[in-house]
Amino acid sequence: MLELVGAHLQTESQAEFDHQFAPGQITVVLGANQSGKTNLCRLVAGQNSRARGQVLLDGIDLKTVDPRKRPVSMVYQAFVNYPNLTVAQNIASPLLARRGQGMMDKKTVAARVDELAHKLQIHSLLSRLPHELSGGQQQRLAIARALAKQAPVLLLDEPLVNLDFKLREALEIELRELLRETNTIVIYTSSDPRDAFTLGDEVLLLAAGEKLQAGAPLDVYLRPQSLAAMQLMADPGVNKFERDSRICALRPEHLRTVTDTGIDMTFDMQVSAFETNGSESFVHGEVEGAQWVMRCDGMLRISPGQHLKIGASASDVVQF
Amino acid sequence: MAAVDLQQIGFTYPGATEATLSDLNLSVADGEAHALLGASGAGKTTLLNLLSGILHPTNGQLHFNGEDVSQLSGRARNVAQVFQFPVLYESLNVSENLAFPLRNSGFARQVIDERVTYICDELELGQLLEQKPRALSLFQKQLVAVGKALARPDVSLVLLDEPLTAVEPKIKWQLRQTLRRVQADLQVTMIYVTHDQTEALTFADRVSILAAGGILQTDTPEVVYQSPQHEFVGHFVGSPGMNFVAADALSVSTAQRIGFRPEWAQLSNAGQLSGTLQRVRIEGAQQGQPAGLMVLDTAHGEVVVRGQLPDVQDRLIGSQLQVQVLRGVAFTNEQQVGSHEFV
Amino acid sequence: MSSFRPQNNRAWLGVLPVVLIVAFSAVIPLMTVVNYSVQDILDFNTRFFVGLQWYEQTLNDPRFIEAFLRQVAFSLTILTIQIPLGIWVAKGIPQNSRMTPLILVVLAMPLLIPWNVVGTIWQIFARPDIGLLGVTINALGITYNYTSDPLHAWITLVMMDVWHWTSLVALLAFAGLTSIPQPFYQAAELDGANRWQMFRYVELPRLRGVLIIAVLLRLMDSFMIYTEPFVLTGGGPGNATTLLSQHLATMAVGQFDLGPAAAFSVIYFLFILLFCWLFYSSVVARNED
Repeated sequence: MLELVGAHLQTESQAEFDHQFAPGQITVVLGANQSGKTNLCRLVAGQNSRARGQVLLDGIDLKTVDPRKRPVSMVYQAFVNYPNLTVAQNIASPLLARRGQGMMDKKTVAARVDELAHKLQIHSLLSRLPHELSGGQQQRLAIARALAKQAPVLLLDEPLVNLDFKLREALEIELRELLRETNTIVIYTSSDPRDAFTLGDEVLLLAAGEKLQAGAPLDVYLRPQSLAAMQLMADPGVNKFERDSRICALRPEHLRTVTDTGIDMTFDMQVSAFETNGSESFVHGEVEGAQWVMRCDGMLRISPGQHLKIGASASDVVQF
Repeated sequence: MAAVDLQQIGFTYPGATEATLSDLNLSVADGEAHALLGASGAGKTTLLNLLSGILHPTNGQLHFNGEDVSQLSGRARNVAQVFQFPVLYESLNVSENLAFPLRNSGFARQVIDERVTYICDELELGQLLEQKPRALSLFQKQLVAVGKALARPDVSLVLLDEPLTAVEPKIKWQLRQTLRRVQADLQVTMIYVTHDQTEALTFADRVSILAAGGILQTDTPEVVYQSPQHEFVGHFVGSPGMNFVAADALSVSTAQRIGFRPEWAQLSNAGQLSGTLQRVRIEGAQQGQPAGLMVLDTAHGEVVVRGQLPDVQDRLIGSQLQVQVLRGVAFTNEQQVGSHEFV
Repeated sequence: MSSFRPQNNRAWLGVLPVVLIVAFSAVIPLMTVVNYSVQDILDFNTRFFVGLQWYEQTLNDPRFIEAFLRQVAFSLTILTIQIPLGIWVAKGIPQNSRMTPLILVVLAMPLLIPWNVVGTIWQIFARPDIGLLGVTINALGITYNYTSDPLHAWITLVMMDVWHWTSLVALLAFAGLTSIPQPFYQAAELDGANRWQMFRYVELPRLRGVLIIAVLLRLMDSFMIYTEPFVLTGGGPGNATTLLSQHLATMAVGQFDLGPAAAFSVIYFLFILLFCWLFYSSVVARNED
């Protein structure tokens, strides 16, 4: 169990919060840029940052532990590997560092390197140098190195943000399998709500250094406690409107064209743009003076300027 | 403005043993918004450089409005290009940047002024005219780069090389929309080169899918998505791509494999395929019921289905489910041989 | 994070060697010079405090003013030649050829030659009786003798410095040129830019950074030049090529006027600082508008 007590992530904010991370669980820390995600990682890892607060691992205050010996490993946004070491040597590096303390013989190290390389599908590249790898492979290597350390806490700070879309999709699905096999406490930061669903057993929402909400991803999605929390869990954003002087919001995927069934409220949208990848489409436009976006299945190509009748089911409306 | 015609284009880099492009045919109509979609290594950059006149074809011919321009420079072809990141003259302000290609073409001062004003109105650059590029955001810079490419009234073809790469994801749609609007207003022939299917399917009137140095299919975005001519097209376009299973699993005897999209199938008690649920990827919920992608391990390989999840409990993973395929596209030797409705 | 502080403070120990080296190599000698400059030193045990007298004397000394003007003229001349010439040379170096490394090595050779050797090379090279350059020029019917004609001495001095240091500018400019992404050239070509426009609007704006460094380095270096003219002309004929540093050496070493020489040094130092600061701040100010 990893505990944050009185965590203060940003100088600009007064907010302090407590949070507990359970072993064997992946917690996705979701927040926009500058929300304090990276500072949270640095706080846990014991690296210098503006963040303050107590970090307890199984009741032991990590302040008393030398940062170099902290039971934490970390994967960064940028692909950080030793440029002069081969893939195999890179994966082995955290193991060899420990060999000095008489913990691992050469054979065990080689077996472990082989096992991790297979899991991350880089076993055919073991003798290459990092610069000879593609971006996706470099990040696989960085993850393998972090896993080799077998630390009880694993931090991943937006590790996939610099990868191509298709690569990202593939690696995300593999990561969940990989991370769940162990009894590690995994903290994964992201700004994409899809990551919360794909990877997270738990999601922790952060905004300006403040803890907005935490819980199972679906639970947080279905029952947001604030508009900001709903906004963070919506892809790409929420649609706001007012009814009876109360602020109401609808998620993009809950808007539909009026031909669909189950609609009990309608809106008039002036379309300004659409996006589609074939499987799903986003329609951007103006509704009641606000920028809205609708997400729907299949390919929808609508010319801008057009008026579109859209609808929603009243049960999907969230009121604040 | 020009109609672009590529006839039997082949290209081999000097010293290379294998051709990067071979027997490539493509016709882009005058005033068309066309997208070239392909993974890295498919030959996109080579094709782009052939169009912009940096490279010249080893075989075949390139025609602009019926005229052979294969060996002409990009300048002589009147091609303009927008690059992955904004390419502007840093010491010139926005209006000087826009006027630069016009001045070099020897247009009269009055014509230049009119044209710059027109482009500015079209792209809503009005307030930025006196600014130097370094004072602009990446988004604004790329907008100016688009304006510079469109400045010359005699431009025959505008090439766009993944122009949204540097733009922040959440505002990409705005620039893409501007590009579409300007393309429609000015009736410029545009070729948009990208690896991103959203870019291609959103921007273009027609899309060409490029793989291994050749074009597999050229069609409207709808047709490319609904009726891929080649298995690779079905796999590459869509998120996630098509599922492929042996044809006899769906009792089809006239083809080798059937491809179907995740949304063309549903969970059912009387499905043709059965398998174990491996993973789910929740994308949201409809009326409180979670929905998303379900990955099943079947006797015919992995199958992905999109729809509402039957239950949220964790023991759902590993449960036996049946999938009913509603429609599919039939392939033999990776080539499309027809489509099937299974209802 | 209080418990990490002791560990962080230990890092200052790592900086200590640099602090010591800078103190002994720069700060302490400089303070010694400042100290000398306000005293009249008869011998090491007999000194009087004289205030700013030496400064006054130095600034009013016609020999100082002449040397100073010569120095400014020299620095400006070599800058106006070396910067454009360096850029021109850099543009001539092929960027992705197998020859590129070889060319760069050959180009860097003058920079590796010890300064007094450079002086000696040119002293012999330009001699009208046996030097290749001197004999050739005289053979062409032009009377040339740098040891007797002040103008010839000047030209020889400038040529020597250009030969010695243009490579540095060229290497810096070459590094700047290679960092310009290819699309900038492609775009300019499609825009119909000619070679001059390509240089003026694509290359020059992107060379700005390295050119500022090049000008600063050459300005400071040329202001401090001593060895080469000392070996080549010894400041002559007459005082025609006596630059600031040589005048200073004559005072301090030759005449042992430690007080005035120290005041001279401080003024000299402040001038270099002032020039660099003026140049740098004017360039940076233009950069920001």
